[in-house]
Amino acid sequence: MDKFRMLFQHFQSSSESVMNGICLLLAAVTVKLYSSFDFNCPCLVHYNALYGLGLLLTPPLALFLCGLLANRQSVVMVEEWRRPAGHRRKDAGIIRYMCSSVLQRALAAPLVWILLALLDGKCFVCAFSSSVDPEKFLDFANMTPSQVQLFLAKVPCKEDELVRDSPARKAVSRYLRCLSQAIGWSVTLLLIIAAFLARCLRPCFDQTVFLQRRYWSNYVDLEQKLFDETCCEHARDFAHRCVLHFFASMQSELQARGLRRDNAGRRLELPAVPEPPAVPEPPEGLDSGSGKAHLRAISSREQVDRLLSTWYSSKPPLDLAASPGLCGGGLSHRAPTLALGTRLSQHTDV
Amino acid sequence: MMDKFRMIFQFLQSNQESFMNGICGIMALASAQMYSAFDFNCPCLPGYNAAYSAGILLAPPLVLFLLGLVMNNNVSMLAEEWKRPPGRRAKDPAVLRYMFCSMAQRALIAPVVWVAVTLLDGKCFLCAFCTAVPVSALGNGSLAPGLPAPELARLLARVPCPEIYDGDWLLAREVAVRYLRCISQALGWSFVLLTTLLAFVVRSVRPCFTQAAFLKSKYWSHYIDIERKLFDETCTEHAKAFAKVCIQQFFEAMNHDLELGHTHGTLATAPASAAAPTTPDGAEEEREKLRGITDQGTMNRLLTSWHKCKPPLRLGQEEPPLMGNGWAGGGPRPPRKEVATYFSKV
Repeated sequence: MDKFRMLFQHFQSSSESVMNGICLLLAAVTVKLYSSFDFNCPCLVHYNALYGLGLLLTPPLALFLCGLLANRQSVVMVEEWRRPAGHRRKDAGIIRYMCSSVLQRALAAPLVWILLALLDGKCFVCAFSSSVDPEKFLDFANMTPSQVQLFLAKVPCKEDELVRDSPARKAVSRYLRCLSQAIGWSVTLLLIIAAFLARCLRPCFDQTVFLQRRYWSNYVDLEQKLFDETCCEHARDFAHRCVLHFFASMQSELQARGLRRDNAGRRLELPAVPEPPAVPEPPEGLDSGSGKAHLRAISSREQVDRLLSTWYSSKPPLDLAASPGLCGGGLSHRAPTLALGTRLSQHTDV
Repeated sequence: MMDKFRMIFQFLQSNQESFMNGICGIMALASAQMYSAFDFNCPCLPGYNAAYSAGILLAPPLVLFLLGLVMNNNVSMLAEEWKRPPGRRAKDPAVLRYMFCSMAQRALIAPVVWVAVTLLDGKCFLCAFCTAVPVSALGNGSLAPGLPAPELARLLARVPCPEIYDGDWLLAREVAVRYLRCISQALGWSFVLLTTLLAFVVRSVRPCFTQAAFLKSKYWSHYIDIERKLFDETCTEHAKAFAKVCIQQFFEAMNHDLELGHTHGTLATAPASAAAPTTPDGAEEEREKLRGITDQGTMNRLLTSWHKCKPPLRLGQEEPPLMGNGWAGGGPRPPRKEVATYFSKV
């Protein structure tokens, strides 16, 4: 268990490590999936190609989409792309960087499937057995073309009576498998050369821009995570206070009821609405609040809704030196429901 | 036992070279495993045998070599170090050469394992050279001249495939297979011996030459690696602190706006009550982590300077401001003294 915890912590240490971990996991799942899948070529003239190519291409597409789904950064990227500019300029370079990083990781599992399928050869044999040129093999000399076609279609099925123990079948099957493996290795070689060149040559172009984009895309990711955490903290705080206020008001209501009964000697109507929770008076037992004053200030449903919609429609500028109250001034004129929004004329743009 | 595992893990992570040693070992094992899982499939056709065998002998080692290089972060580090402007830090070609050699050596292990395993197994060699078997010596030599060459080639090409071989009258299949496998294994063992000998000679003889320069290159190569890692970690920490303070300010600003709305424009009271009267301790800590870099433009300039002019390798000296006027244009002052300490010819 310790081992797993350690590995887990190592992978959690940065979101890039997490994504790499997910990528590897998906690749391992692909290998297992391929080895446990029961390949079943139909051995009929027109269906072979459909089945073979379908099996070569459809699972990779599904795995690619899975890779995109499992990667948190794809959602962050789409959010960054679609958000209104607000106080914070949008940089297309950052979005491109995130997009390429997401795509690279999502492409790993589909490529593993395709390479496994090619190196194994069954898909290729099934798909292309009918397209083999019979001239290459002397054993087809005395067969009519339609017989040849039928024979070739049955090549992937070893147990079929027409082709069982036939040296011609073995020769064709062998030829196709060898071709499939050659294509598989060539594709692997090309991909790895491309990856190597990309890695080597990247510092030759625009290294400073790359460093900046990497930093800011990491920042966007972290900020989103931290905002979610802060909102969770706030929700927890809010819920805690709400419950405590409810208990306090229930208690004071009971006390008031007891007093009135004592006074009047009969039951009186109670106010339907319990006394409003006194915001300036935080009950005992809450955290001492040294770090959380900014959370406690947001204390109603409308305020929370407004905060969340402002976060989306106008993210704060990337400039911490500006003081909070006069932060762009835009916050007040962007919130339409504010009763008397004081229009501050300052509007800083980064 | 868990402690041991943790220790090993930490040791391997401690620097890039140790990490690469671990990766190297894993790739060597993976290479052997891949070979045994790979279904060798000789085409048994005259022209194709040699091509297929050559492909299987050469393409996977190339793939493994490049994979070993790609997985090594030092490759991009080497390229960066090579392409960066000298700035205030001179570039030392010896360090670059050291990095390249160390990477290449590690990346060569998995391909060597593949080639050795392929030769020792023998299937590849058998497939490639079955048409070159001396029929006159091993089989019915009298019948061979009567056959036209293409027919002979076609016959012999089927030797690796037991189920379709039909030339028993000319040459017993077992004999040919045994002969070729024996040559293949001899070659395999010679190859293993040669590479081990070479590695041994390189390792033992190197200290006899340029040991001092070697130690320097090794030190500075590790230094560059660790410095880069620490820079990335510091940037991540900074980004985290930046995000925390940004979000906190956002909440405070929202609160401030609401207060303004509630108190009907009495600005005088608003700022005092808006934020917490005393900045909480946690926020102070975060602000300190920012080290004074609080906006996007400054951060971008910092990252640009990091690439364009890395700081000199001299601590504890009065540093002129990185982004001040003295540095406009990036023209390097001749770092005379620095060259003498950093790069010496042995």
